[in-house]
Amino acid sequence: MKTVRIVALRSDRKRLLEHLQDSALVQVRKAEQSHDGFERVDMSRHMQVFERNVNLTEQALRILGSVAPEKGGMLSSFKGRRQVDPDEIGAIAAKSGEVIAVCSRLAELDKKRTDNTTEQTRIATQLVQLEAWQKLDIPLNTTGTRSTAIFVGTFPEQYSEADLQKAIAGENPKLEFALEIEHTEPQMTCAVIFVPVSQKVMAEDALRVLGFARPMGATSKIPKVKAERLREKAQRLKLESEMAEDEIRSYVEKREDIKTTQDYFRIRTDKYNVINNIDHSRHVFVIEGYVPEEDCEKLRALCERVADCVVEFGDADDSAPVKLKNNRFAEPAQGILTMYAAPGKADIDPTPVLAFFFYFFFGMMFSDAGYGILMVIATGLMMKLFKPDKKMRNNLRLFQYCGVSTTLWGLVFGSIFGDAPAALYNMFTGGSVTMDQLLPWPTLDPQKQALPLMIISIAFGLVHILVGMGCKFIVCFRQKDYAGAFFDTGLWMLLLVGFAVLAAGAALSPAVMTVGAVIAVACAVGLILTQGRDKKGIVGKLIGGLASLYDITSYISDLLSYSRLLALGLTTGVMAQVFNMLATMMGTNVIGFVFLIVIFLAGHLINIGLNALGAYVHTMRLQYVEMFSKFYEGGGKEFEPFSLNSKYIKIQED
Amino acid sequence: MNGIFFAILGAAIATVLAGIGSAKGVGSAAQTAMGVLSEDSSMFGKMLVLTLLPGTQGLYGFIVGFLILVSSGLLGGSADVTLAQGIAYAGASLAIGFGGLFSGIAQGKAAVSGIAMTAKDEKNFSKGMVSVTLVEIYALLAFIVSLLVVIQIPNMAI
Repeated sequence: MKTVRIVALRSDRKRLLEHLQDSALVQVRKAEQSHDGFERVDMSRHMQVFERNVNLTEQALRILGSVAPEKGGMLSSFKGRRQVDPDEIGAIAAKSGEVIAVCSRLAELDKKRTDNTTEQTRIATQLVQLEAWQKLDIPLNTTGTRSTAIFVGTFPEQYSEADLQKAIAGENPKLEFALEIEHTEPQMTCAVIFVPVSQKVMAEDALRVLGFARPMGATSKIPKVKAERLREKAQRLKLESEMAEDEIRSYVEKREDIKTTQDYFRIRTDKYNVINNIDHSRHVFVIEGYVPEEDCEKLRALCERVADCVVEFGDADDSAPVKLKNNRFAEPAQGILTMYAAPGKADIDPTPVLAFFFYFFFGMMFSDAGYGILMVIATGLMMKLFKPDKKMRNNLRLFQYCGVSTTLWGLVFGSIFGDAPAALYNMFTGGSVTMDQLLPWPTLDPQKQALPLMIISIAFGLVHILVGMGCKFIVCFRQKDYAGAFFDTGLWMLLLVGFAVLAAGAALSPAVMTVGAVIAVACAVGLILTQGRDKKGIVGKLIGGLASLYDITSYISDLLSYSRLLALGLTTGVMAQVFNMLATMMGTNVIGFVFLIVIFLAGHLINIGLNALGAYVHTMRLQYVEMFSKFYEGGGKEFEPFSLNSKYIKIQED
Repeated sequence: MNGIFFAILGAAIATVLAGIGSAKGVGSAAQTAMGVLSEDSSMFGKMLVLTLLPGTQGLYGFIVGFLILVSSGLLGGSADVTLAQGIAYAGASLAIGFGGLFSGIAQGKAAVSGIAMTAKDEKNFSKGMVSVTLVEIYALLAFIVSLLVVIQIPNMAI
């Protein structure tokens, strides 16, 4: 990584920035403060407009999606972005105003729809309230005539006419009144009460005690008429909503345009953001940033071609971002690495090592030739059919390579859809062959040879850990930390090798065992002598050295962790075998065949889902916890160049 | 008296106890994950991974149960198990039974926290995932012990 400074004339700014964005060579650094004689140009007003447009288009897409969901479902997420010809951009820009107008209209229509829905709910509740007053032929807000006071309202209890009469009379025997019950239901009575005007106050008091209340939202219309009006209004609102929805639907064909416009504004926002972050004087402007070392000359050529400018490069500082660069084999695993952390300044790029062990361990855990071939075919088809973007393509390729490894391991373990070949053969011939009889090569059956396989798993683990420590050795060596390289890492590596030789000797010959023991003891003594070297005094140094030997426990637990290679491999095989057994259970008749097909497909799908997930997660864990802890610091930042950062369209080939 | 009863008991212990552990673990993780999904359904993939992590214990238990059935001959064999062998099967099943039960529940709790962490910031996903798998090793050790013993039992002179 190099730093770069480009100084150019302001009149060339638009052209230069556009080319820089197209080429995605530079990551622009925001300078903390302006140089003398330079100042910032405030573009935030423009950016706000662009961002609002992006939001508007996002909203419009959501609205369109609610009316007419996009087809494609799950698989569409694999699809690559639409290719757009660079010449098309002018047309997109010219059209953007029109598209934004469509989006505004969509937002308007959507608002109308939601408003109408709220209004309709309100009307519905009103109608329910009016329902009780259907028989009443005076308006609800009637308070009386010249000589009669009229109370229209409800009581919080269910009364019959006689009951209510009694209740009111009970409150005030002097009251003269007539009443009419309109509607009753449990806990409610709707009634009209007539009293002489002279007794109005008395009546009010008596009614209040009984919990009388005038209806909410009473109007001067007769309930029946009012209800009719409300129904008409609801009908009209419904029609309006339908029309709004139809109009929204008529814009569905604009969906692609809206997406394109959204990206157009997104790209412009990025560009203006860069303008915001760079220094300007009256006539020139300065872009400072980072560029990968191999792209320096390309960048210089590009800048000098499109503008009068000065391009100068410098050495990158510690805060420079990192760009990972790997070959076809290792590149897919970059995603796994960056999910953990981008390499820090002291780190070596561990992607190749990571990639190899990722494929290897994944295959060993998933370990079925049938599943592996399915993975290879499925990922290959997706890459062919959907033309996915680089990131998705790398993910698919990761699983394709894992599929190859899975197939190989499946052949080693003698597992093709579990023991499907043997199970099917037995089903139709009534024989009792096993997979190792069918396959012409010697297999390693995890069920029968669990113990040897566990030892193999742990041996792979040892290699994995040693490779990790080897990386640490290189890192220390590069930093000229020779004590760290030889004492802290080298001795431990040798010690582990010593133990391994010792263990192998236990199975082979006592002589080998002695060799292992000698190595181990020598290394242990070396560790005791060197590990306390930071401590003060002879005693302190020795105690520090002795204490460091306790680390052996962490190495042992790391190694045991690799027994999951066996466990998960076994899980896949046994589950597959169980499903095969179930599938072939019903015999060779019609029902048996249907049963066979259904259970076979469903069972193996479940098995693939569960165990592919398990293999993925646990492979990742082995890399992150067991291996990266040995040497990888992380903490770097990824190189994020100033580029055409879009969601739906792709302007240049990457 | 032969040991069929104990062999079946062993298969049941392994499958049921480890199954309970996983069911509890996956259950609590799924509850939390659905809470997160109700806010942001785009995280379904990540939530699914974290939710399924405590599910392996049940698988391990099931596999030990299945291997007991196969190696004792209950499935398609003579089911010729001595009393001592039957008791040995039952004993072997205890490791993954209880190991799976408690590690499943514990892993479920860890998965719940991992889900909460991922919900806050999706970048935390890999850290959460790795932390949750730390619990797995204990289920794994229990499984290996059960497995190695079950495979050896038919060869034992008991």
